[in-house]
Amino acid sequence: MEHTHANVVKNQNVDSSFLEEVKKTVAGKKILDCIQCGVCAGSCHARFAMDYGPMQIIKMAQLGLKEDVLSSSTIWICASCYTCTSRCPRGIDIPLLMSSLKNMAIENNVPAKIPAKPKFHKAFTEIVGKYGRMHEAQLQVRLMNKTSPKALFDNASLGLKMWRKGKVQMRPPRMRGKTEVKTIFRSALRNEEKKK
Amino acid sequence: MKYAYFPGCSVEASAHEYGMSCMAVNKVLGIELIEIPDWNCCGSIDAVHAYNPELSLSLSARNFSLAETMNMDIVTLCSACFFTLSRASKMLHEDPNLKGAVDKIINAAGLKFTGDVKIRHYLDVLINDVGPLKIAEKVKVPLKGLKVAPYYGCLLVRPPQVRSFDDPEHPKSMDRIIEAVGAQSLDYRDKTRCCGASLVLTDESVMLEMTKDLLLSAKAIGADCIVTPCPMCHFNLDAKQKAVENRFDLKIDMPILYFTQLMGIAFGLNPKELGLGRNVVSLEKILHKLETPIQLTAKA
Repeated sequence: MEHTHANVVKNQNVDSSFLEEVKKTVAGKKILDCIQCGVCAGSCHARFAMDYGPMQIIKMAQLGLKEDVLSSSTIWICASCYTCTSRCPRGIDIPLLMSSLKNMAIENNVPAKIPAKPKFHKAFTEIVGKYGRMHEAQLQVRLMNKTSPKALFDNASLGLKMWRKGKVQMRPPRMRGKTEVKTIFRSALRNEEKKK
Repeated sequence: MKYAYFPGCSVEASAHEYGMSCMAVNKVLGIELIEIPDWNCCGSIDAVHAYNPELSLSLSARNFSLAETMNMDIVTLCSACFFTLSRASKMLHEDPNLKGAVDKIINAAGLKFTGDVKIRHYLDVLINDVGPLKIAEKVKVPLKGLKVAPYYGCLLVRPPQVRSFDDPEHPKSMDRIIEAVGAQSLDYRDKTRCCGASLVLTDESVMLEMTKDLLLSAKAIGADCIVTPCPMCHFNLDAKQKAVENRFDLKIDMPILYFTQLMGIAFGLNPKELGLGRNVVSLEKILHKLETPIQLTAKA
């Protein structure tokens, strides 16, 4: 690993308020309980694709390395499989912590190492806001990789195959309580605005 | 046996055959799933949560509010919905401030909830309320000689802190169902390893790498097919199998079934009712292997 704790700290990116910010989140309350045992990193199924392991992210957050944490690929790669938390001797909800860190990265407009990820969260939330439920076909189309013709072709042919098998819901989901869901969205988003 | 049924969004679309086969199996076992009227998105494990945690919890809470008037346990087929609803219920119980904030949002929509409703996965109902013995009694076509790799995935059994009916490291519930229908359940290393989940939409190469490991590990122990209880896992293992083959230049050809489809086959139900023609990787290979082979018609 090219980043060790020592050379990260030398970056002097320390933001002393970051730890307090993290501690305010549900999973972040336990962040100082971490004993750096490494079980999370050793158990992580997606570790090969991350720049830092979860154990390092926790240490970096403790040290206040806000920028390094929020610009890491780790927070976006975590697939919430919960192997780490199942084994964590301190009972830290690591995927939920990653979720809060993603939230901070979005709020702070930190460019994501996986650019499609913030788009995914936005598209997913907007579709649920509109229909009350997920409309898979719309999410697929909004996130389709349009940069490579090969990817576009592969996705389109899989889509067609699934459609033939009756696995694509063409019409958006319909529910009666859409207004209730819209009110829930409005109130939750307003609360978020107030906190800023 | 009556339950408040939460289908989840996938079961209405890409996982249609999961819902179909579940309903067909229910008729045989006398399970009644009564759909929660006008349910909404569970709140998502991470997609909405990372965007706005209170919003995600409030979406779960609206479902609790609807289910609480039914006075039954919530039962869902989707591992991710099962987990999301369970975690929301736990978080809201443990944190009065959070409950207060979500109450305000829910009240604004003219609803209220306690969060006391019990959330269960359909597999839990089969194992603990119905029982493998009763399932075995209903078998008409024992699946003798069929080697099945149970793939549990992540959120059905993890993390134990949230709510679990099975062991997080060595789950057995699906193995017991496979054995009850006369097939052989295989023990293998990767049955609870992650498939990559929603990375399929954002980092496909990472997800393909993760799913490849699972497929190869099941193939290495001689599995005829994999069964799964999760729509997300099913999509990655089944619909994305061709992409795995192309990317790593492999021939895998591994049928992926929902455990409810496997049960339906053993109960002698109509392939059409079980949606056996809807799986992307053809099931013909295993259906021909049965003592009474099943022929799939184009519209099954």
